[in-house]
Amino acid sequence: MTDRDCERLRAVAEELALGILPGHERAEAIAHMDRCPACREHVERLTLVGDGLLALLPGSEPPAGFETRVTDVLGLNRSARRWQPRAVVSVTAAAVIALGFGFGGWAVRTAVEGPAAPPSRSAGATGSEHGLLEASLLAPDHHPVGRIFAYPGSPGWVYMSVDLGHDGPGSGSRGGDGYPGAGKVSCRLERTDGTSLRVGTFSLDDSGRGHWGAPARVAPDTVSGATLLAADGSVLATAHFDVPRNQ
Amino acid sequence: MRRLGLPLGRVPDEALLAGMATGDPEIALAFVRRFQRMVFGIAIAVVDDPQLAEDIAQQTFERAWRHAQVYDTRRGSVRTWLGTIAHNLAVDAVRARRATPVSPEDLDALLGVVNRTPEQWALADEAAARMRAAVAELPREQARAVVMAGIYGMTARQISEFEGIPLGTAKTRIRTAMGKLRTVLGPERADHD
Ligand SMILES: [Zn+2]
Repeated sequence: MTDRDCERLRAVAEELALGILPGHERAEAIAHMDRCPACREHVERLTLVGDGLLALLPGSEPPAGFETRVTDVLGLNRSARRWQPRAVVSVTAAAVIALGFGFGGWAVRTAVEGPAAPPSRSAGATGSEHGLLEASLLAPDHHPVGRIFAYPGSPGWVYMSVDLGHDGPGSGSRGGDGYPGAGKVSCRLERTDGTSLRVGTFSLDDSGRGHWGAPARVAPDTVSGATLLAADGSVLATAHFDVPRNQ
Repeated sequence: MRRLGLPLGRVPDEALLAGMATGDPEIALAFVRRFQRMVFGIAIAVVDDPQLAEDIAQQTFERAWRHAQVYDTRRGSVRTWLGTIAHNLAVDAVRARRATPVSPEDLDALLGVVNRTPEQWALADEAAARMRAAVAELPREQARAVVMAGIYGMTARQISEFEGIPLGTAKTRIRTAMGKLRTVLGPERADHD
């Protein structure tokens, strides 16, 4: 790339960031950004301006019944749930690993379903009883590389977002060089009694980023944290759920 | 006995998104409730048609649900991500329907709204307040250009025709305005929190 290429990009960066650059110019600009981290960063920054503009628009209440129509379309209506078969909640490690094709595949599978629970009836740990555990994933040098959420409902689930490629302060480079074992990683839940359970495996992209979720039994009384493991079993990061153990 | 944890209303956005993807109806409902005002607000501002705006808002949640895997925490918050989806859908809808995405009256009305600071905007955070102030300080023609481009998705050519100015002038207005607005962004985003 040349300075001239960068100049050409900078001349259209604002339009690109706002999504209004016409087709062929856009293709050319994107091709340059693929090669040029500085220009990519410049455009990303401008994209934040576009986001900021959108954030100035006032909220507006949609017509009555909107939320129900949406959840109907998604097949996530609470009353519809009653007629669904009582699916087995996948709680065994094997079942969870079988689903370990990442958040994407998992997201479109709604087969994992808790016991049918009419909304009118008290159904144990639902409703306002939802308690979500949350913690930062910390690399061995204690800098945060992601977050984990563990949900002890029915179905319970675990969700992790990871960004190992996080640049250290002052580092301008971005990159997927040098993270041991980035690629396939796995999530292991740690229990207070010292045992652990591997709940799934997923992939990080070249820059060490990825997210993943899967159904899993989360017993809030006994889960103490989680570990992110590289393919070779080495520890990439750990998380500790800060749950007061009263009651 | 009740485990300590976050009540549903305080569950972080990204966890709510993850929870919705498991098919939990209650979390899905909470997710839609949390964001529907924002999503519908963007849609109605761009398309100015309640029925179309509702369709767009609905499609936004469908997309969010289906594409939860491409949600990128580094790119921004769930709120921003959803807003971008809604905005893209709305701009596409307008482009498909009309040659000129906005009437002069609507543009003036929206500029007024964007510059105002209504107290009921509970979600207006500090960053939004700074951005709003910066837009308000722009020369009128630059504010118009950046709103036409950034909100209505009008191209520089459409803006030049709408304003009756040369294409180069439209581009310059967009660039200059964006350059000023850019300065109100804080330092580079650190770790997602
Ligand atoms: Zn460049």
